[in-house]
Amino acid sequence: MEYFIYSLSLLVIYVGLAQLMHVQFGLLGIPNFGVVGFWGAGMYLTGVFNVSLNMPILLSILAATAIVSLVAWALGRMILDRSGQAILCATLAFSSIIGVLVISEKWLTNGVRGLGTIRYPFASSDFAELGFAIFILSVVIAIFYVSIRLRDSRLGRVLLSIRDNEELAASLGKDTSGTKRLIFALTCGVMAFLGGLSAPLKQFLVPYLLSPTVTFTVWIALVLGGKGHSFGSIVGVVLTVGMFDILIETYLPLPPEYAATIQNLKLFFYGFLLVAVIMFRPAGFLGAGRMGAKPKHATSTTKQEAAS
Amino acid sequence: MRLTATSLSKAYHGHVVVDIPNVSFGTHGLEGLIGPNGAGKSTLMGLLTRRIAPTSGEIALENEAGTHELNALQSHDVARIGLIKTNQRIQGFDGLSIRDNLALSATSSDREGLSSIFDRTRDAEDIEARVAALLEQFSFADPDGSAKSGGEKKLLDILRCLVAQPTMLLMDEPTAGLPDDITQSVMELVRKKVDAGEMSVVIVEHDLPMIWKYCDYVHFLSEGQMLFEGTPDDVRENRVVAEKYMGV
Ligand SMILES: Nc1ncnc2c1ncn2[C@@H]1O[C@H](COP(=O)(O)OP(=O)(O)O)[C@@H](O)[C@H]1O
Ligand SMILES: [Mg+2]
Repeated sequence: MEYFIYSLSLLVIYVGLAQLMHVQFGLLGIPNFGVVGFWGAGMYLTGVFNVSLNMPILLSILAATAIVSLVAWALGRMILDRSGQAILCATLAFSSIIGVLVISEKWLTNGVRGLGTIRYPFASSDFAELGFAIFILSVVIAIFYVSIRLRDSRLGRVLLSIRDNEELAASLGKDTSGTKRLIFALTCGVMAFLGGLSAPLKQFLVPYLLSPTVTFTVWIALVLGGKGHSFGSIVGVVLTVGMFDILIETYLPLPPEYAATIQNLKLFFYGFLLVAVIMFRPAGFLGAGRMGAKPKHATSTTKQEAAS
Repeated sequence: MRLTATSLSKAYHGHVVVDIPNVSFGTHGLEGLIGPNGAGKSTLMGLLTRRIAPTSGEIALENEAGTHELNALQSHDVARIGLIKTNQRIQGFDGLSIRDNLALSATSSDREGLSSIFDRTRDAEDIEARVAALLEQFSFADPDGSAKSGGEKKLLDILRCLVAQPTMLLMDEPTAGLPDDITQSVMELVRKKVDAGEMSVVIVEHDLPMIWKYCDYVHFLSEGQMLFEGTPDDVRENRVVAEKYMGV
């Protein structure tokens, strides 16, 4: 039961990360390949505040979120007006730097020996774990609520215009650089918040947790589900993390000697799914969302009737 | 409204494509900008709207609010003080419906902040009305889908600028690729707005009869230089224009 709650919580966090990438990339067109950096920085900062400074866990998470948002804002200022490839490389580099810092700054992070133990809020209660899982779920539901409202809002329309043709959007009076920076800082901050929430789940933080696989899994999930679709992230994460990390690795009664094979098979399977989706459903399982899925409007048929 | 450029020049890899000591637009109502292909008309319009950075020169815009030095501004600031340009090359937002393209352009940025995420309705009634009025006047196959043909995209580009209610509109070959009847309606609408004092317009166009018909004043640009300026009649009778442009 405990392990089930743990894996489900982690799954929900991945869904949250993928949904934030839906906003960053699907709506705004920023190819952030440093997801693990923002998430991991949030997680480690939470750990440092909580363990080394004895700050309460929830306060630690909030402080970590604020710091990562500021860092993302500054990083965004440097990179967001460059090309997509440059952003991709810079964010990937950012996450590598976080990975290196976590190992090298032993005075802060305890290096490879690990940082712990991080406890749940209200850890003495019998329902701490379940309560925390429900809290994570509510946070991710809130992320969905806001991102779906965003998509249909005036601001969301500006994001789509920047994604489609930034120069044109600017020529119509939209502050494209400022908007990108703001949304990037906020969404990276929420990634850090999810990282902070992951800290008590992991309990003991080791640099190994910050592997680039996190970023790739989120991206594969995003592409599988459909980067432009509001619920693509759920489908994508269930197909990847859900199927492999939870269902097969944990619940399928496989002999232990297959453990390594499963890991490799996972990457093979992800790759296979990715190729299949790109070949047969380039907009993802759920398609492109609003514009693509929209039924033909009634006015066009009335016009045809009138003409005949 | 008066848009002035002084010592304006633009060079690509040492090759000068625009070199104008002094020019001003916006005081004659509807102005034409003509000249052979490659004369630098599009480059000049890009420079005036800060979409292209000048090699040298100052650009200033005077309106009721005062004088704005455009050199210090970014492209979006220029649009916010009311100076907008249509595009010679087809451009658009493919992910937005035609209606949203227009509403986006009609909405001012102070209403597109974070708090708009939680607003119950997307567009205010006045915006919807402005968009609906334009869509009534110009029909699209599917206003709630994306623009389909090149003609629709070109028309949408023009309407996107008009619905923003600029005080000065630069139009770069607006009617190339548009059917004749739509060209007519666009020009009539532009003429009406200019006459009502809502905006001044500069239009680049190769269709000379149209220039003579609609423009109050014409600038002639050749090889990056402003060779002649005057009323349509003056320009039509000018020898330089005839030689350099009309192949006489
Ligand atoms: N980005 C650019 N790089 C190099 N040369 C350019 C660029 N843009 C325009 N030019 C050159 O500048 C000249 C003027 O171009 P343009 O302003 O488009 O002319 P027009 O609109 O009058 O036909 C042309 O010779 C063109 O080749
Ligand atoms: Mg041109």
